[in-house]
Amino acid sequence: MKNKLLFLTKESFKRKVKTKWFFVVNIILALVITCVLNIDSIINFFGGDFNEKQKIFVIDNSNKTYETVKKEFEEYTSLIDKNDENDFEITKTDKSYKKILEEDKNKNAWVIVINSDKDNVLSYKLVSESFIDTTDYQKLYTVLNNTKQSIAMSETKINPNDLAKITVPVTIEREILDETKKGEEEMTQMIMTVVFPSIILPFFILSILLVQMIGAEVNDEKTTRGMEIIISNVSPRTHFMSKMIASNAFIILQGILLIVYVAIGFLIRGVTGGSDVSSLLGNDIWTMLKDFLASDVGSNVISLIPLVLLLMVITFIAYSLLAGVLASMTTNIEDFQQIQTPLMIISLIAYYLAIMAGMFDGSLFIKIFAFVPFISAILAPSLLVLGQMTLIEFVIAIFIMIVFVFILFKYGLKIYKVGILNYSSKDLWKKMFKALRSEDNN
Amino acid sequence: MLKLEHVTKYYGNFKAVDDLSFEVKPGEIFGLLGVNGAGKTTTFRMIIGLLDNFEGKITLNGKKIDYNITDKIGFLTEERSLLTKFTVKEQCLFYGRLKNMPEEEILKKLDYLLERFGVPEYKDKKIKELSKGNQQKIQFITAVLNDPELLILDEPFSGLDPINVELFKEYIVELSKKGSMIIFSSHRMEHVELFCKNLVVLKDGQAVLSGYLKDIKEKFRKKNIIINGDVDIESIRKIKGVNEVEENALDIIVRIDNQDVAPKVFKEVSKSKNIIKYALEEPTLNEIFVAKVGESYEK
Repeated sequence: MKNKLLFLTKESFKRKVKTKWFFVVNIILALVITCVLNIDSIINFFGGDFNEKQKIFVIDNSNKTYETVKKEFEEYTSLIDKNDENDFEITKTDKSYKKILEEDKNKNAWVIVINSDKDNVLSYKLVSESFIDTTDYQKLYTVLNNTKQSIAMSETKINPNDLAKITVPVTIEREILDETKKGEEEMTQMIMTVVFPSIILPFFILSILLVQMIGAEVNDEKTTRGMEIIISNVSPRTHFMSKMIASNAFIILQGILLIVYVAIGFLIRGVTGGSDVSSLLGNDIWTMLKDFLASDVGSNVISLIPLVLLLMVITFIAYSLLAGVLASMTTNIEDFQQIQTPLMIISLIAYYLAIMAGMFDGSLFIKIFAFVPFISAILAPSLLVLGQMTLIEFVIAIFIMIVFVFILFKYGLKIYKVGILNYSSKDLWKKMFKALRSEDNN
Repeated sequence: MLKLEHVTKYYGNFKAVDDLSFEVKPGEIFGLLGVNGAGKTTTFRMIIGLLDNFEGKITLNGKKIDYNITDKIGFLTEERSLLTKFTVKEQCLFYGRLKNMPEEEILKKLDYLLERFGVPEYKDKKIKELSKGNQQKIQFITAVLNDPELLILDEPFSGLDPINVELFKEYIVELSKKGSMIIFSSHRMEHVELFCKNLVVLKDGQAVLSGYLKDIKEKFRKKNIIINGDVDIESIRKIKGVNEVEENALDIIVRIDNQDVAPKVFKEVSKSKNIIKYALEEPTLNEIFVAKVGESYEK
């Protein structure tokens, strides 16, 4: 019987891998992943001046403000808006704003007209050809407000040293004693940018693939009645196990291939001289991720990767068992497609709970869900990354999953055995409950 | 020898098979008949081990049928049981390997059988691309690939033309001569009559008729007289013991209660001058089936 298990497993695995669609899908996946990881290089390759600085012309009718404005812009970009350093090009001009904007090269320029009234109070006029977005407008507002304050303080003849003390930007050294307690927004960002693409998304895609694959195969064998011949030669247990092993082996292979495609993507990025990875993630996230990985918690999380992978593999096994049992109960592929929807919804619930975990730090409700089978594979790693779950708790989640798989296999097999030879939907649930109560464990 | 002893199977409260017993000896072709829902498929499933919660005993050569001996069994289901995405070769390799046959042996046997059934060109074709009749040939080939000790054939001639039916018949007889036990089920009673010396007729799970066909026909008593000639049909109808007189394109069939009525009919027929044929024949299996089961099997 061992030989037959091996044969059926190999046969089932071969059936999945030796299809032209497996090759086509993997070529597409490799291309898409490589392209996404090199998207900035690809966009640059097709041309366009993406480093063009925003031109700002200053018409200083007050004859005293331009230098301060320029200085304030420099301070703003160097201290606050590091990412957009040097993206403004400030020029003083005596031309009218109409003349400036009429010139083709200045079509996208902004013009700041500075006036001073009889009380020497500054007022600004901002002219542009098109709409200035809110973020840029806020930057300009901050710079011009600071300019106004600087000039006002200077005109009140404050001692230059005192003025320097007043105008120097405040320095705040941030120290968070509990490194796991990060801001809600940062946590959500961390889940969205790090945990989601590296854990949740691949897991979600692979679990859908797994469920559909087992369902289609069991359904195909059942609806063609090939199942009768197969089950007359091997026990339902052997057949069930072969499907489970082959599908999980396929999913692991597909997972490894995804990692290889990511590696190829980064390799191409390195070879073609693509910019730093930080430009893909964004500087804030990249800095946050680097800080996180450098911290004690971060290095602990990295050491927990094998445990996270273990939880995922066990969850894949649970998915395959449940999909096999559900597929055995259905009499056509349409029924199976309907019955697999709840499985997809469970993953979605887990995903949204993971997102909410960042917003509801320490929520007991969310933590309890991290131990629930199927949900734990997505939620528990997220809580671990966020520092809301301890190692012991994570191990407990794995243990619960193992117990769940054992129960699912024991009772699922009873349903599977009856289901695969049942071709009628009449009294289906009655038959399945009766199967559950049977003593037969073969 | 295949032996079923007092086998009873329930589905819930429904008794699908009721105290069924029969034996199939090596080299014997056994008929298992019954209308749809009579319990044939359940019986087949119990024999090949698909169902195991039943009362009674089923043994093959004295051993309980389990997965250790199913390699010796061949099964052709009534409905197609082929994986249609496979090619013929893949399908045969798959089912053959499930019977623990070495790959080389499967391919050798496959080439022989494809040649024998006149379809060697289909070896690398997908099952779904084949016609219904050719799919049936492939299904038959997968059932006999392992030269089974016990072969179960549920409607083997379904979708076949008369020429291919003959090819199948030859092979089935050949297998029985080699010592295979064959259980045969068909809606075509002439096939059953041709093959099966021994049979069971099921009705609502119970055996309403069983034994050797010759004995069954003898016990049935009723006979048929086949006449070809100018006879007075009305006067024959009036003879006591004549149940029915049927005219078809060629002959007149007179159904009588028993052999004792035959001389009376002969006396009446001999009054006519132009008689080409007069024959006393056994009733057909279908007639016996209708009489016992209450409805025709050849539907």
